[in-house]
Amino acid sequence: MSEHSSDNALPEEFPTDLVYALAGTPDLGTCFAARVTGLYQSRDGCKTWHTVYDSLGISDPLPTTSVVLAPDYDGETHRNVLSGVPGGVLRSTDGGETWFATILDSPPPAVSALAISPNFVEDGVVLAATTEDGIFRSANHGSHWARWNFGLLDLNVFCLTISPGFAEDETLFAGVESGVFRSTNGGRAWREVELSVGYEPVISLALSPTYPQDHVIFAGTESQGLLVSEDDGVTWTQSGAAVITDPVNSILLSPDFAESRAMLALLESSLWLSRDAGTTWAQVPNGPESVTAVLAPQGIARGATLLVGQMGGDVSLMALDL
Amino acid sequence: MASKPEKWQRSRVVFQPDVHRGMLRGIEQMTDAVRPTLGPLPRITLYDTTIGPIGKIPELLDDGGTIARRIIQIRDRDADVGAMLLRNVLWTVREKVGDGTATAAVVFEATYRAGVRYLAAGGNAMRLRTHLEHGLREILNELDGMTGRVAGKEELTRLATVITREPELGKLLGEIFDIIGEYGRLEIRKGQGRFFDREYVEGMYWDGGLLSRTLITDISRQRTELENAAVLMTDLEIEDPRDLIPVFTVCVKAGITDLAIICRRMSDIAIGMLVMNRDKGKIKLNAIGIKTPGISVSAQRVALMDMVVLTGGRALLQASGDSLRNVKLSDLGRARRLWADKLNLGIIGGKGDPKALRRHIAHLRDVYVSASDTDDRGELQERIGKLMGGSATLYVGGITKTEQDYAKEQATRASDAMRGAIREGVLPGGGAALLGCRSMLQTRIAESVESEERAAYHILLEAVEAPARTLLENTGYEPGEILGQLADVGPYVGFDVVAGQVTNMATAGILDITTVVKTAVRAAISSAAMALTTDVVVHRAKAPEALTT
Repeated sequence: MSEHSSDNALPEEFPTDLVYALAGTPDLGTCFAARVTGLYQSRDGCKTWHTVYDSLGISDPLPTTSVVLAPDYDGETHRNVLSGVPGGVLRSTDGGETWFATILDSPPPAVSALAISPNFVEDGVVLAATTEDGIFRSANHGSHWARWNFGLLDLNVFCLTISPGFAEDETLFAGVESGVFRSTNGGRAWREVELSVGYEPVISLALSPTYPQDHVIFAGTESQGLLVSEDDGVTWTQSGAAVITDPVNSILLSPDFAESRAMLALLESSLWLSRDAGTTWAQVPNGPESVTAVLAPQGIARGATLLVGQMGGDVSLMALDL
Repeated sequence: MASKPEKWQRSRVVFQPDVHRGMLRGIEQMTDAVRPTLGPLPRITLYDTTIGPIGKIPELLDDGGTIARRIIQIRDRDADVGAMLLRNVLWTVREKVGDGTATAAVVFEATYRAGVRYLAAGGNAMRLRTHLEHGLREILNELDGMTGRVAGKEELTRLATVITREPELGKLLGEIFDIIGEYGRLEIRKGQGRFFDREYVEGMYWDGGLLSRTLITDISRQRTELENAAVLMTDLEIEDPRDLIPVFTVCVKAGITDLAIICRRMSDIAIGMLVMNRDKGKIKLNAIGIKTPGISVSAQRVALMDMVVLTGGRALLQASGDSLRNVKLSDLGRARRLWADKLNLGIIGGKGDPKALRRHIAHLRDVYVSASDTDDRGELQERIGKLMGGSATLYVGGITKTEQDYAKEQATRASDAMRGAIREGVLPGGGAALLGCRSMLQTRIAESVESEERAAYHILLEAVEAPARTLLENTGYEPGEILGQLADVGPYVGFDVVAGQVTNMATAGILDITTVVKTAVRAAISSAAMALTTDVVVHRAKAPEALTT
């Protein structure tokens, strides 16, 4: 990965560089990597990378923990991108050339995840999870944010996932230190979801691409493996219990999951693949080491390209060989 | 010397058939007073309060419980017994579920009237009662089978509109309950204008305010806010300012800059030390004193217990022999933000163990479900609501004070009913759910072998028809014809009296709250069955003093 990284020293509380999150278009024409040292962009299929915070005029690196693209992002006319940074959310409408900063209420919260409505262009809804202050919600494309934590009894939020049918069902799930919470009103209020393993930290979540019909939810825990519910979170079973013992840091489902049953999981720092909706798992052959983030912009199928972020800040491409 | 009682006040023993006839007169009178309030287009009962040393504005009532409550005596003493019995049933229903009193009244009256008719023909009251109670259980089971869940803003709005009959209020209550849920905290206050409005407050707040105005730092908002604050929670009284030094020392060593001291009382000199330290102190510690929430010792303990779970730390209690001398860092709770004004204390983002908080709330919910005392349930509801992470305030509007009082009362009753609906589900409204029990009752009639059993199911058949019949009468329809039309339809089909057509009540959003219907029916039928077994009434020589003064 070639890049123009900053030589400035990192604040003490941040580890050495790593990739927290990735975002990109299906053709890999534009990719973003949220890293300890800032937000980076590639416009050449991930061959070269450059920092996109230059226009902010700040000298210190700005650790970026999350990044999301608007669903209509095409790199040309529609270029909304949002990133989560300590104490706020940055918003760009020109693909990262210029940024608008929104400072979230003091004391400054640490943004852990962003979730954007599939209907963002119309409804303008985007949510920011924080590790100590619960969930912030914006309904005007990220211009203004307000905390909406009704019923969210645990404000230490690690991950967020949004229903593909959000425009109709307004459903979201939040993974927190003590389990999972669900909102059915677009993130304005939250209700507890009881897990079969008790109050366990949930660090990753994924909804089936056909969630409004099949109600399938996956929850990755820190120490209790991967949980799956096929009834909208009412009952849960452990999936792949024989293999999955490490923290499930990320879960990706194939866009055609309902037919292919293919999914990827980032277990601790290695990539694993399942082709039967999580019942059996195999480590991705020739997968990179020390993986911290993964993105499958082209789905999970033979020959599809994965974007893999690693410790140290590297981002590499790998073709899936199923 | 006591005056000689009038003829109607004299001691008297009454036997059958006068007992049943007399009680029925009273029950009918009470039911007739309440009957007009049943349905979506209720008429108002005006309670005349103009008589007396200071004439008051007449009270407008559309709530059967309150109407019954206002009727404190009927001159016909045989009738009075029946009326007061029903009055008690209605008030109990009103207290328990906030609604359903008109349904209870008409079901009670229908059951009692049909029962009296059967007993007059020579039936056995005790056996009849047993079969009525058995039939009641079957009706309740049928209602359980028809119960559906209500969720989402749209469904809640439709339900609230049905309950309040006010689209504007219904819309706001639908939104509020979609956000706060069944246990959420809702305050209903009188607003400034004609219209309704709402406000959401983040975090938890209690009724303990700052111990002194000198502790206010934000003068314009008349409150003080702390960030990443340590929280000392105690029911101790702090007299000597030197008692605070160990607390300050612990905080300074830990690098804490904001401290909230929640205590029962703090002397002026101790408060002065907080102010001095804030304004001119060498150590950088912004400390404020807040009154421990609650008036009684037990209420304070409960509030402290909840705050401890929310923020972590430990409550220092007088009863445990705690003092401030040995305060440790682990005794202090933590909060991302804390605010206090003259009246309240709010905590946003308590740093206690979230698992412990969820377990604590789950425990409180379990206790709530098993609690039977209304006051206990109210207190538990409030405690759970405070811990849910936010609260809502509904401002009710109105041009006159009477209108505003009425709207506030209506909103309060509706909010109780909404909580019940979310918790226990809903039934097809407009009396359709009870009509849906008719086929089961008809089957039981066909299967009955004893005459009392058959009679009981016939009586219950009349009773379950009574709400729909009354509703139709109240809205100007001929009940016989429409009830005939509804004889062979499913349990979810009823007559929409507003649209004037037979419809699927659930789909049309015409819903009743399961717990309200069940409570009303249970109270009405079991009380009427018991009343039917009353054979003799002994009237006292004079009405109780409480009723004559």
